[in-house]
Amino acid sequence: MGKRIGASTRDLIITNFVAIVAGLVLSGLLLLLLDINPIQVFSSALTTLFTDRYMAAEVFLKATPFIFTALAFAFTYKANLFNIGAQGQFYLGAVAAVSVSLLLDGKIPTPILLVVVLASTLVAGGLMGAGIGFLKARYNANEFLTSMMSTYVALAFMNYLLRTVLKETKGEYPQTDALSEAAWIPRIVPGTRLHLGFVIAVVTAILIWVFLYKTPMGFRIRAIGSNARAVELAGINSRKIFVIAFLISGALAGAAGFTEVNGVQRMLIQDFNPDIGSAGIGIAILANANPIGIIFASILFGAISVIGTMMGRMPGINVPPSIVSIIQGSVMLFVITAYYVRAIIGIRRDKKRLKREEA
Amino acid sequence: MSVVVGILARALTMSTPLLYGSLSEVVAERSGMMVTAIEGIFLIGAWGGFVGTYLWGSALYGILLAMGLGVVVAAVYAFVTVTMRQHQVVTGTALNILVAGLCTYFQRVLFGIPTSPLKIERLPQLAIPLLSDIPILGEVFFNQNILTYIMYAIIPLIYFVLFRTSTGLAIRSTGENPVASDVAGISVNFVRYMTVLFSGLMGGVAGAFYSIGFLGMFTAGIIGGRGWIAFAICFLGNWHPFGAVVGTLVFGLAESISIYMQSLGGAGFLPNEFFIALPYILTIVLTVSRRNFKVPAKLGVPYVKEGG
Repeated sequence: MGKRIGASTRDLIITNFVAIVAGLVLSGLLLLLLDINPIQVFSSALTTLFTDRYMAAEVFLKATPFIFTALAFAFTYKANLFNIGAQGQFYLGAVAAVSVSLLLDGKIPTPILLVVVLASTLVAGGLMGAGIGFLKARYNANEFLTSMMSTYVALAFMNYLLRTVLKETKGEYPQTDALSEAAWIPRIVPGTRLHLGFVIAVVTAILIWVFLYKTPMGFRIRAIGSNARAVELAGINSRKIFVIAFLISGALAGAAGFTEVNGVQRMLIQDFNPDIGSAGIGIAILANANPIGIIFASILFGAISVIGTMMGRMPGINVPPSIVSIIQGSVMLFVITAYYVRAIIGIRRDKKRLKREEA
Repeated sequence: MSVVVGILARALTMSTPLLYGSLSEVVAERSGMMVTAIEGIFLIGAWGGFVGTYLWGSALYGILLAMGLGVVVAAVYAFVTVTMRQHQVVTGTALNILVAGLCTYFQRVLFGIPTSPLKIERLPQLAIPLLSDIPILGEVFFNQNILTYIMYAIIPLIYFVLFRTSTGLAIRSTGENPVASDVAGISVNFVRYMTVLFSGLMGGVAGAFYSIGFLGMFTAGIIGGRGWIAFAICFLGNWHPFGAVVGTLVFGLAESISIYMQSLGGAGFLPNEFFIALPYILTIVLTVSRRNFKVPAKLGVPYVKEGG
C-alpha cells in the first residue's frame, strides 16, 4: 500500500511539472509572433528572480492574496459547493479595510488597529459569503450563479463608494486618500515590499488544513462533498454547513482585502486587482484543493505574475502584460489534462499489478 | 412616448446576443453539458467579429471568424470535459482566463498599440418595409439589425428540433439517461460534442454582436459577464427555449433601462452604479425566487461507458 501511495505522489509531481513546463512553452511560442526571443526573456527574467532580492520578495508579495482567494475556493469546493465570488468578497474586504483604516488610524496603536482592520475584512467578506450560503440553504438558490453575480454587484458598490463617500479629499480621481504609516502592515524583509501578510496567509493555510482534516466540523464539511445524501442520513444538518462553509470561505477572500490595501497599495483605487478571484480558482485546482499545496501553487502563480511584469519592463522588448493570463490559463489547462493522464497511468499500473498477481 | 419605444427597441437589441447564448446553452445542457466556457466564447466571438470586419471590410467575414473561433474554443472545452471527462466548471474557468489573455495578446500582435481606438462600422438598422411602419411595434420589432431578424427564425427552429425531431430526442435522452441512449445505439459523446460545438458557433455570433452590432470596437471588458448572464438565463428559463426567450427579454429590458438611466447620470437617489449592477441583481433575485427547477438528470456528469 505504502509503495502505491509513493508511486501516485511521484506521478503527481512529475505530471504537474510537465504541465507547468508545457504552459510556459506554449506561451513562449506566442512570444515568437512578436519577434521576441522567448528563451532570452525567460532566462533573463528567471536570473533576476534568483539574484535580485527585491524581485524575489515580490513573488511572495504577489502570492499572498492568491493564498487567500485560493483557500476561499478550496474551502467550499471540499463541500462540493462553488464559491465563484471570491473576487467580490475581496472587494468588500478591501472597502472595509480602507474605511476602517481611514477612520481609526492615528487614534489607536498600530498593532491593535491592524487586528481591528483584519477583523473587519473577515466580517465584510464573511457576511457576503454567508449570504450566498444562506440563499443556498434557505431557498436552494444555485450558489454558482449567485456567487458569480454577486461579484459584479460588489464591484458596482465599490465603484459607487469610490466616487462618493470614500473619494479622496482632493476630489480629483475615484480613489481614497492614502493611509498614514500607522495603518501599514510591517515589512519583514528590509529593502523589499514583502510584508507580514505573507506569514499570516501561510499560517492561515495551515490552520485551514488542520480545521478541514483534524476537527469534527471539517470532517462534516468534507463528508458533504463526498456524499451529501449519506450525510443527511447520518443526521448532519447540511443547511447549517452550507452557511458555515460559505461564511469561512467569504472571510478568507475578504482577508485578501486587508493584505492588499494595508500591505501593498495603502489606498483603494479603481480596477484594484481584478484577477485574483479567478487566479485563486486556478491555484486551488492546481493544488487539488489541498491547503498546504495552495501555498506552493500560489507562489508559482506569484512567480508567473512577477515574471510577466519583469518581461514587460525589459528595455527594448515589449512583452504585453496579457502574457500573464495566457501562462496562467494554459498552465491550468495542462494541469487539468494531467489529472486525466494520472488516472490513465494509475489504471495501467493497477492492470499490470493484477496480471502479475494472477501469474 | 418615444423614450419608451426607444427603451423597448434597445431592450430587444440587447436581448439578441443573450438569446443566441442562452438558447445554445439550453441545447447543450439538455444533452448534459454545461458550457461554462461561454464567457470566453462570447469574448473570442467579440474579438473575432471585430478583427474579421476590420481586416476584410465586411461584417459577414467578422461573423464567420467569430463563429470559427467560438467553435475552436468549444472544441477544446469538449475535448477536456467529454473525452478526458474533467470537471466542467473548472475547465471553463481555465479556458475563460486563457481566452481573455489570448484576445488581448493577439489584438496587440495584429494592431500594435494604436494611438486612438480602432473603430468598425456597426451593423446597420434594417427597417423592414411596411412592417416597420406599424406604430410602436414596427419601431420595436422591425427596425433592428440582421442578427435580431435571424434570431426570430432561430427560436421556433430550436424548439422544433429539440422537441419534434429524433435529433432532439437523442439530445434530451443523452442528458436524462445516457445509458439508455447508449443502448439505443446513440453515441453519447458524439451528441455531447455536437451540442457543445453548436454552443461555440452560437456563442461566437453572440459575442460578435457586442463588437459589430453594438459597440463598433473591441475592448477587453466588452463582454463583462454577459456570457454568465446567458448561462444563468438557461437555468432560470428551466432549460426550455421559450423560458430562455422570456428570460432574455427581461434581461434585455433591464440592460436597456440601465443604459438609459446611465445616460441620464442616475435617477434621483439611485446612483448610476445601481443601474450598472441591475442585471446582476436581477439574476440573483430570480435565482432565489425561482422554484421547481427541472434540471437535466445528468447535467455536468461525464459519461463512462460500462466496461469501457
